[in-house]
Amino acid sequence: MSDDGSLALLLLGPAGATGLYWMLYRHYRNTDKSHAFEHETAVEAKPVTGSEHKVDEVKGTRESSIRGNNVGAYRQRVQRRQDDS
Amino acid sequence: MSNAKPPSPPPLPPVSGPGSPRDVPPLPGQFPIDPATLPKPIRDELTAPDPVAIDTSAKELKDGANHCPKCGATDIRHKHGSDLLVCLFCRNEWQGARVEEEFGLGSGLDELSGTIIASGAKDIAADSAHLMSFKCSGCGAEVTVNTENQMTARCHWCRHVFGVNEQVANGAVPDAVLPFHIKKDDAIARIRQFVDKRQMFALKAFKEQFTPENVSAVYLPYMIVDGRASADVAGQGEIETARYTRGSGNDKKTYYDADVYAVQRHVDFTVDDLPLESSSERGNHDTSVNTNNIINTILPFDTKNAVKWNASYLHGVSSEKRDRDVAHLKPRLEDQLLSIARHQVVESVSRYDRGVRWEQESLDVHGTRWVSMYLPVWLYSYHQPGKNGGMLHYIAVNGRTGETMGSVPVQQWKLILAALTVGTILESIALWILAN
Repeated sequence: MSDDGSLALLLLGPAGATGLYWMLYRHYRNTDKSHAFEHETAVEAKPVTGSEHKVDEVKGTRESSIRGNNVGAYRQRVQRRQDDS
Repeated sequence: MSNAKPPSPPPLPPVSGPGSPRDVPPLPGQFPIDPATLPKPIRDELTAPDPVAIDTSAKELKDGANHCPKCGATDIRHKHGSDLLVCLFCRNEWQGARVEEEFGLGSGLDELSGTIIASGAKDIAADSAHLMSFKCSGCGAEVTVNTENQMTARCHWCRHVFGVNEQVANGAVPDAVLPFHIKKDDAIARIRQFVDKRQMFALKAFKEQFTPENVSAVYLPYMIVDGRASADVAGQGEIETARYTRGSGNDKKTYYDADVYAVQRHVDFTVDDLPLESSSERGNHDTSVNTNNIINTILPFDTKNAVKWNASYLHGVSSEKRDRDVAHLKPRLEDQLLSIARHQVVESVSRYDRGVRWEQESLDVHGTRWVSMYLPVWLYSYHQPGKNGGMLHYIAVNGRTGETMGSVPVQQWKLILAALTVGTILESIALWILAN
């Protein structure tokens, strides 16, 4: 077995213990819960418009998704442009 | 002597300098400087119309007494499990007016412009007091109501019932109230069921002292906001063009090729009845110091069914007072509108199978409408002693839908022991695999 594989197996115990702790803690304390206003509020949106153009190519990366992927992290704020109201 | 009219004197030059009218403070509503000479953003703000107010006050209840429309008695209660009021003298029942129809709050979202504030959501006066006194029209006695936590009181001499129905400037009287539908027995059953599923690792003292019968009905203050906004987001997205493996055996690794796109999206949208906590304490969702996120989780409510303010709905129910004004809540509203916009554009970027990294966003709020509302919550609380005053745990039940969420304090040593046991078993299996 490779070094990487052995290390992964050795980490199984600590990772399992930590994972179980957090899973049970959250089940009891529900610190991760909040009102899902994005889904549960009545929103009427006009068709989304926009633009896109190719700017670069990535070759031979080992990352399975774009770095900093935040498409599903709606509440994670990014730089707010100055022309805001 | 000639009758000819003397010529009128030439107009005086404009007076300026010390002692001139320019030194006199401007009249209310006037600006000392001509706004036309100022930069556009400042000029726009100065000349913008004042927020429009929708008058939701109940003038017919101004004296505090809510009379039965049939017999005139003042002993009026909320009929549990419904939106009806009932007269305890003649048993007459009637329904409060829904604010959606009464004040047209459900329409016109597409045309919202500026900031429209209902009269119960206006700024809290700096000199406001908690105590309100009424002169009993039955016997002349003074009846005092503490608006901090209650809205009705009974004259202890002649049993006349009073309610704070006038929209006082201390944030205690909202525009609307959503009556309780879930009864106490139902709330107790839901709380018991919630805790029954969390027995094994619950704090021993919590289990010993658990008495869901102590649950209390509370009206919590919220701002219900309608809004019309536009948002823009910009960033980069990637589409996978190739996937291949290099190496062999255990060294086999996967590599990806992708095209990178600059992506921009724009969305115009309206939101209807977005609830925001208008109490600074309840609006603080820092889970390291409190469990208010539990109460937030039981949102939303069917706010379309809220009725015009009438203190009789609050008889025997405690209430919390609003201490946040519209201006305080605007940053949170903008934050939530941006999150909603980000959710709205997700489908339009589904072709970027390696995801999108949004880097910039902007928001233009065209119009908002703010209504202050009391929403019904059943609250069971348990104080866990500890550092910095300990932690107050809540189990909350939505007083309309019955949605239940809670925070149950954990017995740490039990939780750690369970985690270590499972970790040890997994590690033993891993070592056995490595040894063989």
